Amino acid sequence: MSRNEKKIKGDGFASMLFWTAAAIVLGLFCSFIFLPLIGVNPLDALGIMITQVFSNAYSMGNILVKTTPLILTGLAFAFTYKANLYNIGAQGQFYAGCICAAAVSLGLQNRVPGALVLLLAFAASIVGGGFVGALIGFLKARFNANEFLVSMMSTYVITYFMQLLLRTVLQEEKGEYLQTDYLDNSVWLPRIIGGTSVSLGIVIAVAAAVLVWVVLYKTSVGYRVRVTGMNQDAARMAGISPKRQYVLAFAVSGAIAGLAGFVEVNGMQHMLLTNFDTDIGSYGIGIAILANANPIGIIFSALLFGILQVGGTALGHYSNAPASVIDLMQGWVMVFVLVSFFVRRQLGVRRMKHQKTVSGEAA
Amino acid sequence: MEVFINLIARAFFMSTPLVLGAVGEVIAERTGMMVTAVEGIFLIGAWGGFLGAYLSGNMLIGFLTAMACGMAVALIYGVTTVYMYQHQIVMGTAIAILVTGFCSFFYRIIFGTPTTPLTVTPLSDIAIPVLSDIPVIGRILFEQNLVTYLTWILVPIVFYVLFRTSLGLTLRSCGENPAAADAAGINVQRVRFLAVLLAGVLGGIAGAYYSLCNVGMYNAQIIGGRGWIAFGICFLGNWNPVGSLIFGIVFGISEAVGTYVRALGLSSVPSELFSMLPYVLVIVLTVCRKNLHVPDKLGVNYVKEE
Repeated sequence: MSRNEKKIKGDGFASMLFWTAAAIVLGLFCSFIFLPLIGVNPLDALGIMITQVFSNAYSMGNILVKTTPLILTGLAFAFTYKANLYNIGAQGQFYAGCICAAAVSLGLQNRVPGALVLLLAFAASIVGGGFVGALIGFLKARFNANEFLVSMMSTYVITYFMQLLLRTVLQEEKGEYLQTDYLDNSVWLPRIIGGTSVSLGIVIAVAAAVLVWVVLYKTSVGYRVRVTGMNQDAARMAGISPKRQYVLAFAVSGAIAGLAGFVEVNGMQHMLLTNFDTDIGSYGIGIAILANANPIGIIFSALLFGILQVGGTALGHYSNAPASVIDLMQGWVMVFVLVSFFVRRQLGVRRMKHQKTVSGEAA
Repeated sequence: MEVFINLIARAFFMSTPLVLGAVGEVIAERTGMMVTAVEGIFLIGAWGGFLGAYLSGNMLIGFLTAMACGMAVALIYGVTTVYMYQHQIVMGTAIAILVTGFCSFFYRIIFGTPTTPLTVTPLSDIAIPVLSDIPVIGRILFEQNLVTYLTWILVPIVFYVLFRTSLGLTLRSCGENPAAADAAGINVQRVRFLAVLLAGVLGGIAGAYYSLCNVGMYNAQIIGGRGWIAFGICFLGNWNPVGSLIFGIVFGISEAVGTYVRALGLSSVPSELFSMLPYVLVIVLTVCRKNLHVPDKLGVNYVKEE
């Protein structure tokens, strides 16, 4: 698996940046090359994306708004990835967090102080997502159920469950659409930059990334998770129970994804509706991989996806290009970044061989 | 009784694409390759099948287009995982996003934004003479469409090839012990790559089944996780084509029941509960099932010594 690849080292940060940038450029090229088919000049498209995105504070703020939940779902995947587990169900845990945050906010708003409601919604989303995650981890630990399959399926189950709630207990008072009422102003996450819709959510997301980094690399909890991921048998020998790590890693992962639900519901949408951020889970996987599951790197790769999304939306507004060009861009970028991993690996292999022959000749 | 027969006939009808996808998955997974791009392959199959059939007015061309499209996606997946050693689950996710974007983008380019949904006439059923006159069973088993019959023929063939021929041994050895297979002169990477392509072709047909046999139209939600269910069926069926057929029918039943209950429009039973039934079923069965024949090196890329 990918563990093998890490043994071959020898390319530094600069090379990583270069190849990732090359992959992004290639990915954009492959997406834009089809634009002439609908009468959009690819160069114009690029121009529109850059000028519109960076033209005013509002759309630049939008990048941060889009980035916020992506950081969290990226972290969610990364945390289990470090334990060599695959949480493909961040989407479902995100919805669980959304449901909890929306239910708490709607139930308590105007009855208790807004700040307290926010705190409770924050906690509820973590508990909700974490519970779903822990359940998947438990099934893996107790019954050796394939966590990849179970987490994948849990997303669909929760999606329908959310739809059921939105049709019944959580539905708006008008009862017209499958959505909740608007949240009261008092339970919105405060905006932190004037003239934009950037809320406190981005601070929460970045703090979560830093916290995950500290937990993974500077605490014994994270150490145990990582050892389990690297070598289960070694972990067991060292007195670490891999099963406990499964549950723990999934619970934390689910909690982070649930938190994304809180920042989206209370910080951005201010309501909950069906088909809400339907791809945020799979984007998270892409983002985590782009950053090689490094929590700090995830902030930047989420930012990249945020730029692509806002840029793609602008492109849709100012030209004929359909919104699906966003997925096209993100898909190609992910594929080429993965290919760039391979290229870097091959370069590393070649370098090692070269060193061997050089030292061989010297001897 | 009439309702029951219809329900079971419908269950068999709905099981076909799941079985097809799962059998493709079985072949690939026996060589050690999880085809996690299966959801993307199903989607592009549905898209390509509709495109081909709508533009040519010919079902066969539709299915051929779907096969080509499925194979193309499997090609990207195979090259990056088999020859570039990229992680199989991660690559599958990347491809799912790419295919989602690709299908919507090109549907828009080719058809614009039509005011009424574009449709083709779904593939008709073929009643097999004599056999279809058998009471009950005739209606259920012998009034299906051609793809379903072909799928039923395919299952025993794949079973025979996998477990009774030397080709099958070659395939399975790549999943159980690729290093030994390599030492025995088998080109492990090529075997795996070809198996992935075959899974892509079968997945393409399966996807086209939804657009061409089931609803006769295409939209972005048409697959909605069925590719993953086929993936799950392969696990539950113990990496065996016959097991895939059995579990495919189980899921066909759960889908047919869901459709039936939704059509009844009972207000006392939330229809969402029936919609989530197949997915709950995968979880429950995954938990209950003891995986006995999981290929030893499933999901592990084979890196030749360099």
